[in-house]
Amino acid sequence: MAVAARSETPQPLSRFILPIAGLIGFVLCIGGIAVLVDPHGGEHLLAWIYDLLGNNSGALALRNGQGDQLFSKILLALVALGVGVGGIWLLFIGVGWLVSQLRPQLRDRILPWVFVGPALVLLTVFLVYPAVGTVFRSFFDAKGVFTLANYSTLATPEFIGILGNNLIWLVVATGGSVLLGLVIAGLFDRVRREALAKTFVFLPLAISLVGASVIWSFMYTWQPASKPQIGLLNAVITGLGGQPLSFLTQNPINIYAEILIMVWLQTGFAMVVLSAAIKGVSTEIIEAARLDGATERQLFFRVIVPMIRGSIITVATTIAIAVLKIFDIVYALTGGRFGDDVVAVRMFHEMFQFFDDGRASSLATVLFIAVLPVMYINLRNFRRQQVEA
Amino acid sequence: MRNRRWWGMAVVTVAVAMACSSTPATPAPTAVPPASQAIKTTTPVTPPPAVATATVAPATAVAPTTGPSAAPAVPTVPTGYTELDTALTPGSDGTMPYAGKTVDIQVQWTGGELTNFTNSLADFEKATGITVNVDSVPSSHETVLKSRIEGGSPPDIAQLAQPNGILAYAAENKVIDLATFMPVDKLKAEHPSLAFLTEGSNIWGLPYKQDVKSLIWYPVKAFAAKGYTVPTTWADLIKLSDQIVADGSAPWCVSAGGPGDATGWQLTDWVEEVVLKSGGLDLYNQWINHTVKFDDPRIKNILDNYLGKILFTPGYVYNGYQSVVAQDQKTTMDPMFNQDLSAPQCWMQKIPTWYGPDFFPDQRVSGQPSKYTIGADGDIGIMPFPAVDPTQNNVEVSGDSMFMMVDKPEIRATMEFLATPQGLEAWILAGSAISSNNTTPQDWYAGSYKLQVASQVFNGASGAGFDASDIMPPAVGTGSFWSDMDSWVNGGGQNPTTDATLQLIDTSWPAQ
Repeated sequence: MAVAARSETPQPLSRFILPIAGLIGFVLCIGGIAVLVDPHGGEHLLAWIYDLLGNNSGALALRNGQGDQLFSKILLALVALGVGVGGIWLLFIGVGWLVSQLRPQLRDRILPWVFVGPALVLLTVFLVYPAVGTVFRSFFDAKGVFTLANYSTLATPEFIGILGNNLIWLVVATGGSVLLGLVIAGLFDRVRREALAKTFVFLPLAISLVGASVIWSFMYTWQPASKPQIGLLNAVITGLGGQPLSFLTQNPINIYAEILIMVWLQTGFAMVVLSAAIKGVSTEIIEAARLDGATERQLFFRVIVPMIRGSIITVATTIAIAVLKIFDIVYALTGGRFGDDVVAVRMFHEMFQFFDDGRASSLATVLFIAVLPVMYINLRNFRRQQVEA
Repeated sequence: MRNRRWWGMAVVTVAVAMACSSTPATPAPTAVPPASQAIKTTTPVTPPPAVATATVAPATAVAPTTGPSAAPAVPTVPTGYTELDTALTPGSDGTMPYAGKTVDIQVQWTGGELTNFTNSLADFEKATGITVNVDSVPSSHETVLKSRIEGGSPPDIAQLAQPNGILAYAAENKVIDLATFMPVDKLKAEHPSLAFLTEGSNIWGLPYKQDVKSLIWYPVKAFAAKGYTVPTTWADLIKLSDQIVADGSAPWCVSAGGPGDATGWQLTDWVEEVVLKSGGLDLYNQWINHTVKFDDPRIKNILDNYLGKILFTPGYVYNGYQSVVAQDQKTTMDPMFNQDLSAPQCWMQKIPTWYGPDFFPDQRVSGQPSKYTIGADGDIGIMPFPAVDPTQNNVEVSGDSMFMMVDKPEIRATMEFLATPQGLEAWILAGSAISSNNTTPQDWYAGSYKLQVASQVFNGASGAGFDASDIMPPAVGTGSFWSDMDSWVNGGGQNPTTDATLQLIDTSWPAQ
């Protein structure tokens, strides 16, 4: 390592560069953090600088809450950047140098932990601790009394309906996206302007979930039968002589209307991954299958699909995880008011509207448990792919 | 190859910069150009709205103030409040004691409403030297507020439409008790709605702005042309509705208050209105605290024979009950304007005071002031909701309340200012607000027909009931009460049945 090499060369003073730099960086970081923690840190720092430069009036104005607010904000941003980027860099250099002073065996054991350590600490603090805290919180009701009621209410018809809606979402949305993506990937393999066609299918993925909900809400708009239909679907239906249908307020069609939006968004992702996988199947196998007399359909479903099984599982699990967490579409369109409530929307309502943190936590825990099997399948598939590679 | 890579990076950078630059506009605390805006809780075009009850008034256009007022809109010393007197009195050296201090207020209002609120504070800021920073968080006010409060950096003062929200925060010891520094008797005498923010001897919030809900909007000239008279009793209302049906039109424009998360609030308003006017304040209060349950025969009677009568009688609701939950609340009254109000297709809509010309079809679309006037001899008029039981002359109200989370002298002074009539003066003179303070001079409302009618209804009532959705536990008030009423209406009152619906709401009541 360059760090180790430099410290071993016996040059005067230069062997102290790294530790001194590390020390200076450390001090600057502490100062920077002190500035960031202070609610008016930017103003105080700029005031201090102004004092050094002799601009006393500017410093006084800043300390009173007026003055060059813009400069103080820019200064604060620079300090944050310096601490965030420079600080971390110096931290790694400094600690790396420290560790490299140790004996080789000890150094080799500790060094990986030095580099992974901060990330692990952050993950523990911001991911593991809140997760454990949520599970813990789910056993207390709104007043702080220990109870299992948050879980027993999940067995009431209302919540079973919500969990059932999530199950419908999981099966239909994931299955739909993967199937559609697979079919499109297979068909587009032979199309002449393949890249252009694929772009159109892939484009919706760039749209946010809320944006897609707004777009599709105009498609689903319902007007009373006597007025002209401004929603595309209802215009088609009334044009063919039918009665306009309120897609978003009629249950259960509203669930499938919302799932359609998700499928529209995710098909592009499935298509892209599966298309790459299909193209990865070696042509010799395909030719051999053709020589053996396989029809195109048999070729696709009996030869290609089993070969890209790993990709299909990856795509399916990724979409499944996104679908299990679905919130934006349901919240933006109906707020879950018409029998199409899902776990994430209900959790949001319990937390921010009904002030029942315990119930919200139990819903979050249920969602977490529901995602675990999907993650396990994903990991197992990933590991198997690593072995095969 | 190298060129392409640089171009690619440049394109990506520009795209990211454009995407990130579309931040939501942060409104300045000073006057913002007034704009007519749609209701924040319901438009599908805006980002997911706040889950506030739709009783919060949406932005209305700022009407020109009725001439320059000679006196600044601050109360004269002595005001009856200690810190306010201190704030308004120059010190011995001539400077104001709290000059240079800042107070943060977080509100849900935006557009015209925000302008009116900041205008109400302008003279106070000038007179005391306090800078009031108004944080407008229109689309997720409650979420942001909860995060700030739970996270330990609350705003100094915040506005909420639901008293139960304020009481919930008070239960977590996050709210300053106003009784510790404000004269309780004066507060109670001047604010009839204070009861809903009081727990024992603790006063957790201050009613600020009031909305009257017991109003029905109707086309005045069309009524006169057909010889219809304004009904004063429920029986007359039904007779009028039958008459309109017989004449070939539909009497009622009804929406559940959607689309989106707040769908259902108008249906619950109907129920609360009739409870107040038939069973009185006693029944209402018992119903709110669940002593009288939802499946009580009196509540069931109201659903079946009052709200159900309006919604399910064939021909009553324009486009039938099936349209009620899907009908967008902004466009509900449009059929009334058919052929320039000469042939209305629906004749009455029950909607609160915050409704106004900015919802009329021409102004809503063009943004230009509407050509339709509101007034006793204008195009659109307002009638009080008719009496059900003549002895129960109660009015349904809702409103916005302020509550305080940080205790400092200048914040106390600001709260006290908001408790005075002058705290809302600019807003009232703009024709868009009613003060919760009953000592507000009646001539401030003189310029606005709508506020006159509303304040007459309010002042003439023997009792006022605050919107139950804001008082009941939120899981019911803005949760099951709304959702289950939506399902009830959607199924024509048969599927689910009234009994099933009411029992569902009962089971959702959180255990005490």
